[in-house]
Amino acid sequence: MIKVGNAMINPTKIICLGVNYMDHIEETGLEVPVEPLIFSKTLNCLITNNQPIIYPKYLYSNRRYNRVDFEVELAFIVKDKCKHVPAENVYDHILGFTVFNDVTARKMQTKDIVSQKPWFRSKSFDTFGCIGPVIKKVSEIRDPHNLDIELKVNGELKQSSNTKHLLFKIPETFEYITKFFTMEPGDIIATGTPGGIGPIDPGDLIEATIENIGTLINKVILEGEEENL
Amino acid sequence: MRIGNTDIEPTKIICIGRNYLDHAKEMNSPVPTEPVFFVKTLNSIITNGNPIIYPRILYENEEFNRVDHEVELAFIMRKTCKNIKSANAYDYIQGFSIFLDITARKMQIFDRNRNLPWYRSKSFDTFGPIGPLIKDINEITDPHNLDIELKINGVVKQSSNTKYMIFKIPQLLEYLSNYITLEKGDIIATGTPSGVGPIKPGDNIEASIEKIGTIKHEVILEKED
Repeated sequence: MIKVGNAMINPTKIICLGVNYMDHIEETGLEVPVEPLIFSKTLNCLITNNQPIIYPKYLYSNRRYNRVDFEVELAFIVKDKCKHVPAENVYDHILGFTVFNDVTARKMQTKDIVSQKPWFRSKSFDTFGCIGPVIKKVSEIRDPHNLDIELKVNGELKQSSNTKHLLFKIPETFEYITKFFTMEPGDIIATGTPGGIGPIDPGDLIEATIENIGTLINKVILEGEEENL
Repeated sequence: MRIGNTDIEPTKIICIGRNYLDHAKEMNSPVPTEPVFFVKTLNSIITNGNPIIYPRILYENEEFNRVDHEVELAFIMRKTCKNIKSANAYDYIQGFSIFLDITARKMQIFDRNRNLPWYRSKSFDTFGPIGPLIKDINEITDPHNLDIELKINGVVKQSSNTKYMIFKIPQLLEYLSNYITLEKGDIIATGTPSGVGPIKPGDNIEASIEKIGTIKHEVILEKED
């Protein structure tokens, strides 16, 4: 159970899309997917607005792994238990929208991808899933595919795009996911990140903003230095 | 959810791939130098006696129509923890159970060959049977000396012993908890021995681990919408 703004949600899973903005696909050199590319982050990664992103010492002190990236994403929260939802009914099953930062141990992910290993460990460190500041109801967002989305590190703009550049839109994404899995109320689906991803370091202040939703603020601290907040 | 007489509230299921030497060989996978972890989401869980539902999107697609059984020893976390030392690992384990890591094999290989995540092939609804009970840790003298087997329609398909695990439970828990916080009730499956193979609608699966018991599941084809 976590509190996002004034809403309590009880997610059972987080499903993320990879490579879902054309500009991000170009910068990563990945192939354009023919269907949504999905992976899961475990719930231990969740933090909300103003909580610190903890940079694991394990990554920081290892030159093979010492790069951690931000990825701002539009996320939606599932309203009710559902499966096999057709695209035209998708919004009936969505509670609302929020901002999600899919923090990623990039060097570790790249190493795992190249060796055809699962994507799990690089994505699911504690605090690597920032969410908030609020859940904006579906009825309050006229068009989720026309929202400016941006991310700043220490005030400097790093990612800037619009959700209209999403390759797979929310209806087809949700139809696809519910062909596979039963969704539960509170489940979180993050729709992928635009171009401009880059590293974060201890001490950085991350501000992730989506138009009509708000700004999610998280400071990065090195593991072990939590008490210095 | 209730397993035997025990209620647990898992927040995640973590599985270890290639943790029996013979299975790594049969999958043509390199022998790992550190544990390989992946996740199944909670929608995959069913308990003893409930059917494994073979999804139509796999069954009706030539490219994906193979689903495999994988019997595994699983352990359940007793309390929330992080950065555990292997010497103390058993203090954090509530008990042991049998887990079936049902896998859409053709889809997994398809995804792996394209450097894609392993997620979708592992997490279909009902692809994570567990049970028949949680055997308290005090009742299992040595979790690394248990016969483990799986039968389909009475024919033995997997037969091994947990002593053949590459990474033992204390090592696994130290390694894993170095990455992430584990919560009370979380399920960790320790990998499958060789002999993995396909299941089909109509099959009766029986998976047994010595001193724990047997779980039984019928495979049924997903109903049409």
